[in-house]
Amino acid sequence: MIRYISRRFANSLFLLVVVSAIVFGLAQAAPGDFFSDATINQRISAETVAALRARYGMEKSLPVRYWGWLRSLGTGELGYSFAYDLPVGKILWPRMGHTLLLTVPALLLSWLVAVPLGILVATRRGSLVDRIFSVGTSAMLALPDLLIALLILLFALRTRMFPVGGMNSVVIPPGWWSGWKDTAWHMFLPVLAIAFGALPMILRHTRASMMEVLDSPYVRAARGLGLSRFVTLYRHALPAAANPLISLLGISVGGLLSVSLLVEVIVSWPGIGPLVLEAVLGRDLFLVMGAVMFFSVFLIAGGLLADILLYLLDPRIRMQS
Amino acid sequence: MEPLLEISGLTVDYTTAGGSTVCALSDVSLQVFAHEIIGVLGESGSGKTTMGLSALRLLPANAAIRSGRIRLRGRNLLDLREKDLAKVRGAEISHIFQEPAQALNPVLSAGRQISYVLRAHKKLSNRELIAEVHAMLALVGFNDPERIARAYPHQLSGGQRQRVAIAQALACRPAVLIADEPLSSLDAATQAETLALLQRLRSEIGLAILFISHDADTLAAFASRTVVMEKGTVVAGGSIQELRSNSSGYVRALISPGASLKAPTPAEEAAGTPLLSVRNLTKRYVQRQVLSRRAFIVEALSGVSLELNRGATVALIGKSGAGKSTLARCIAGFETPDAGEMLLDGFPLRNLKRQMRWQVQMIFQDAAGSLNPRFTAERLITEPLDILGRGTKAERRRRALNLLEEVGLDLKFADRLPAELSGGQRQRIAIARALAVDPKLLILDEAFSGLDRPRQARIGALLQTLQQRHGFACLHISHDVGFASLLASEILVMGDGRIAAKFSSEEIRNSRDTTALMSMAVDPGSSRPEVEAAP
Amino acid sequence: MKSRVWRSFSLWYLIGVHLIAIFAGFVAPYDFARQERTRPFAGPTRVHFVDSSGKFHLRPFVYGIEKSEDLGSGYTEDRSIFYPIQFLVSGDEYAVGPFHCSLHLFGIEGPERFYLLGADGFGRDQFSRMLYGGRISLFAGLLAAALAGCLGLLIGGMAGYYGGALDDLTMRFAEVFIAVPWFYLLVAVRAVLPLHLDPSASFSLVVITVGFVAWARPAKLVRGVILSAKERSFVLASRGFGASTFHILQRHIAPAASGVLLTQITLLVPQFVLTEVALSFLGLGVAEPVPSWGNMLAAAQHYNVLVSYWWMLIPGLVPIPTFIAYHALSDNLHARLDC
Repeated sequence: MIRYISRRFANSLFLLVVVSAIVFGLAQAAPGDFFSDATINQRISAETVAALRARYGMEKSLPVRYWGWLRSLGTGELGYSFAYDLPVGKILWPRMGHTLLLTVPALLLSWLVAVPLGILVATRRGSLVDRIFSVGTSAMLALPDLLIALLILLFALRTRMFPVGGMNSVVIPPGWWSGWKDTAWHMFLPVLAIAFGALPMILRHTRASMMEVLDSPYVRAARGLGLSRFVTLYRHALPAAANPLISLLGISVGGLLSVSLLVEVIVSWPGIGPLVLEAVLGRDLFLVMGAVMFFSVFLIAGGLLADILLYLLDPRIRMQS
Repeated sequence: MEPLLEISGLTVDYTTAGGSTVCALSDVSLQVFAHEIIGVLGESGSGKTTMGLSALRLLPANAAIRSGRIRLRGRNLLDLREKDLAKVRGAEISHIFQEPAQALNPVLSAGRQISYVLRAHKKLSNRELIAEVHAMLALVGFNDPERIARAYPHQLSGGQRQRVAIAQALACRPAVLIADEPLSSLDAATQAETLALLQRLRSEIGLAILFISHDADTLAAFASRTVVMEKGTVVAGGSIQELRSNSSGYVRALISPGASLKAPTPAEEAAGTPLLSVRNLTKRYVQRQVLSRRAFIVEALSGVSLELNRGATVALIGKSGAGKSTLARCIAGFETPDAGEMLLDGFPLRNLKRQMRWQVQMIFQDAAGSLNPRFTAERLITEPLDILGRGTKAERRRRALNLLEEVGLDLKFADRLPAELSGGQRQRIAIARALAVDPKLLILDEAFSGLDRPRQARIGALLQTLQQRHGFACLHISHDVGFASLLASEILVMGDGRIAAKFSSEEIRNSRDTTALMSMAVDPGSSRPEVEAAP
Repeated sequence: MKSRVWRSFSLWYLIGVHLIAIFAGFVAPYDFARQERTRPFAGPTRVHFVDSSGKFHLRPFVYGIEKSEDLGSGYTEDRSIFYPIQFLVSGDEYAVGPFHCSLHLFGIEGPERFYLLGADGFGRDQFSRMLYGGRISLFAGLLAAALAGCLGLLIGGMAGYYGGALDDLTMRFAEVFIAVPWFYLLVAVRAVLPLHLDPSASFSLVVITVGFVAWARPAKLVRGVILSAKERSFVLASRGFGASTFHILQRHIAPAASGVLLTQITLLVPQFVLTEVALSFLGLGVAEPVPSWGNMLAAAQHYNVLVSYWWMLIPGLVPIPTFIAYHALSDNLHARLDC
C-alpha cells in the first residue's frame, strides 16, 4: 500500500516538474516581456526599464530564474505579477476559492445525476427510455458549452428569477447568513451550466461501463443463483464497473475547469477565468503561468486521488503492484 | 417416481442481428430424477448450452422460448414471475459454467460472493453467515477456508476458482445442479480432482446433476444416463455402454472420436540425422520492477533436449507453466534461448535467415487470433506466398484454392472473413496457410484445445492424411494426454522446464489411469508462477 | 439500430456542410465585412410569397425596411418597395483561389439589404458572416484534429514499435500533456505569442497550438493498437513466414491503427471546433472583422444584445447538427472496427 502510494506520488511529482519546465520554457520563448511596450514609450527612459528589469531579477541567467520561480512555487507565491505588483499567489488564492465555489458543486451535481441515470439506462437497454437517452445525450454532447452559458444568461435576464453578474449583489442585507444566501443565489445558474456541460460524457461512460458488466458471465451467474435485482446491480455490477469511472473522474475535472473559464467570463464571476484572460491581454505572463501551474497541481492531485481510490477498490490493481 | 426436473417439448429460437430467427432447440425432452447424474453429449453448437440456460431461464435477451415446459418438482418454471423465479434459482436449482474465471466477480472476494447467495435465500446473522461460508468452502475441499474466503478470484488457480464457483452454487443446497462443461478449461489433473469432488458432493448432499459435456469419456465414468444432442434435438439416449452400439455416425464420432484416427506408426529407426535436434536449451525470464533492485528470475527452460525424426509425430505434454510454449516459441524462432543448441537438418536454427524461417511453422492455440480479421480466407493463405515471393499472382491463387480443398473446405469459403467461420474452420485455414510454404516441421501449440472432441478428431485425421502426403514432422503441444496419444508415436512429459519422462503411445494407451502416469512424471508439489508468454 | 440510410446521411451531410463553407463566397449574398451603418441589428427579413394585395407570386420577394417611428421596436416593412429574390446575381467580389468573382447564389438587386438571419451591430449580414465563420471554425477544428492525429501517429507509432526507453519517455511526456488542464495551457501558449495578428496568421496559430497541445491522446491510442498488434498471433504467424518489418507494418498494423486513429480524429473535430470558437470568443483567436463563430458570439454576451436580438445566438446553434453528424460518423467507424 505505502509503496504503491509513494510510487504514484513520485510519479505525480515528476509530472509536476516536467509541467513546470514546459510552462517556464514557454514563457521564456515568448518574444518580449511585460516591459517591452515600455521601451517603445518615449516618456519612459531606457534606464528606468533596465532598473525595473533588474528589480525583478530578469537579468539573471535562465537556470537561476527557473530555480527562483520553482522556489516561489514551493512557497505558494507562484512568481510575481508585474501588473498588480504583487506575488501571483496573493492574487490567485482568493480567486481560486471563487472558482472552486463553482466547480466543486458542479462536479458533485453532474456525478450525482449522471451515475444513477446511467445505471438506470443501462438496465433498460433497447427500451424506449434507452433510445430517448442515447439521442438526448448525443444532442447534449453536441451542444457548445458557450451556448449553454449564454442561454442560461438569457434565461436569467428574461425571467429575472436569478441575479446576473458577479457573485454578490451590490447591497446585501446584514448578517453572515444573508451574505451566504446571496452568493448561493448567484451561484445557482453558473453551477448548472458547468454541470450540464459535463453531464453527457459521464452519462455515456456510466452507461457503457455498466452495460459491459451487465453482459458479463458473472452477473448472469449471480442472477442464476437467485440474487435480487438490487444486490446484482449495486453489489455485483457497480463495483466491477467503477474502475473506468474513477479514471473518468480525473479527466472530467479538466473538462470542467475549461468550461468554468468560459462561464466565469460570461457571467463575470470573479474567478480565475476573467483574471487569466485579463493577464493574457496585459501580457502578465507570471500570472498566466501561475494559474496553469495551479490547475496542474489540482489535476495531478486529482489523478493521484483517483489512483489511490482505484487501489482501494480494485483488487486486480492491488495485485499488480 | 416423479422426476425432479422435467423438460418437455422445449423449443427455443434466437433472433440474429440481421433479424432472422435461428432455431436453437426444437422439441427437446429430458427427465432428471433425484440423486441422478444425467449427461448431455453433443458437438458445440448442438444446443446443449441453450438447454442448460433455459432450465434456469437465463437465456440472453435475443432468445425466446417458443413452447414447452420446464418443471421443477412439478412446478413449471416458465410460468413463474421474475421474483418467484429468484427464490427458486440458487435454492432449488443451480449452475456452474464452463469458465470459472468469468463466473466469479473479479472485484469481490470469494467469501463475499458466497455470502450474497446465502443471504438471498436464508435469514442468517452475520456470524452464522461467516460460519456457513467457511463450512461451504471446507465442503468443497479447501483446507484453509478462512484464507480462501478473503481471496479474490485472480489470486486463485483455475481449479480453485471452479471449486469456489461450486461452493457458491451449492451454498443453499439446491436439488439440481446444471454443470455446463465445468472441466473443459482445466488441466487434466484438476479435471480429475473436480470430477471427484462433484461425485462426493452428489452423495453427501444428495444432488442431481445435469452434466453438459462434449467428452464421452468423462460421462462414461460419471453419468448414469446420457442424452445425445444434434442440431437442437435429442437424437439418442441411454448409458454410454448402450450408446456405443448406436449405429448413427454422429453418435459414434462423439463416443469414440479416436476411432477415425489411424494408430500412430511407431518411430522409425533413425536414418541419418534427425530432422530436429535440441540440446540443453535454457531460457530465463527476468522481471524487473521499476523502483526496486529485486529482479525476479523465472527459469522457463532448464536444459531441454529432444530429437524429432523426419515425418514423425511427437507430443509434448505438461501442466501449464511447465515451459511447453516457451520451447515451442524458441524452436519457431519467436524467442531466443539463452543457451543450448537447436539444429534443423543439422543447420543451427539460430543462424536461420529471415527468408528461410518458413521451414518451421506453428499453428496457434487461438485460431481466431492467428488470422488477421480483415483478410479473406484466400488472402490469408496467399500471404506467406506473397511474403516469400513464390509464383505469380495466378499461381498463388490456384495454390490457395487447392489448399482450401485439401483441408476439406469448399471453394465458397475463399472470400469469407475469419469472423464468418467456425472455430474448426478457422483452424483448417490456419493449417492450409502453414502448409502453403511446404514446411519441414509443424508445431501445434494447443491447436486443438478450443475445439470439441469430434472436431479434434476430424482435424487430427486431416493432419494425419496431410502428413502422409507432404511428409512434414509434427510437434504436438497439449495438456490432453489421451488425445495426444492417439496422434503421436512418442510422448514427452515436461515439468519444471525440463523433459521429465518419455513414453511410447502404446504405453499410454495400455495404461488405464493416465492421470496417475502424468503425476508420476510431473511432481505436483512444485508450483511456479505461470510464465509462458514473453515478459 | 440505425438504418443504413442514416449512416451514410451523416457523411453526406458533413461533406455538404464543408462544401458550403468552402464556397461561402458564392453561397453568401454579401461580403462578410460589408457594413450598413443605417441598419444596426435589423431583424431577419421576412420572405413573402403573397403581397399586400393578396396576390401570389411564384418568385419569393422581400419588402424594403425602414426604421420604425417609435423607439425600440426596431424596423418595419416598407410595403411600397418590393424586391424579388434573384438567383445567380452579381454582388460583392470574392476570391476563388487566384480568381475574383462576383456571382452569388442568390440575392436582391437594388439599394436595399436583405438579411436572411438578421444583421449585427454594424448592419453586416449574419447569414453571410455565419458561412464565412464556418469556414474558419470548421476547418480550424478539422485541421487541428488532423494535425493532432498525424503527430499522434508519428509519436505513438514510434513509441509502440520501438518500445523500450523511447516508449517510456514519450508516454511519460504524453501523460504530462494529459494531466495539464489543456484549455489553460492553450491560453498560456496564446499568451506568449503576439496578441494582434492578421487573420490567416491567427488561424494557423490556433490550428498549430491546438494540434500540438492535443497530440497525447491519439498517440497513446496508436501506441496501444501497435503494442497489442505486435503480440497478436497473426503478426507472429506472419513473422514465422519470414515477413519483413515493412510487410507487417503495411499489411497488419497500419490498417488496424488507421481505423482507430480515424475514429479518434472524427471525435476530436467537434472538440477542436469548439476550442477555436472559445478562443475567438475570448478574443484570443481570429479577430474582427474576419468572422469566426466564436467572435460572432462574443457580441451576444452584452446583456441588451442577448435579450433583444435572438439571431445573434445563431452562430452557437449552427454547429450542433454538424457535431451530431461527426459523432454519428465516429460511432459508425467504431462499429465497423469492431466487426
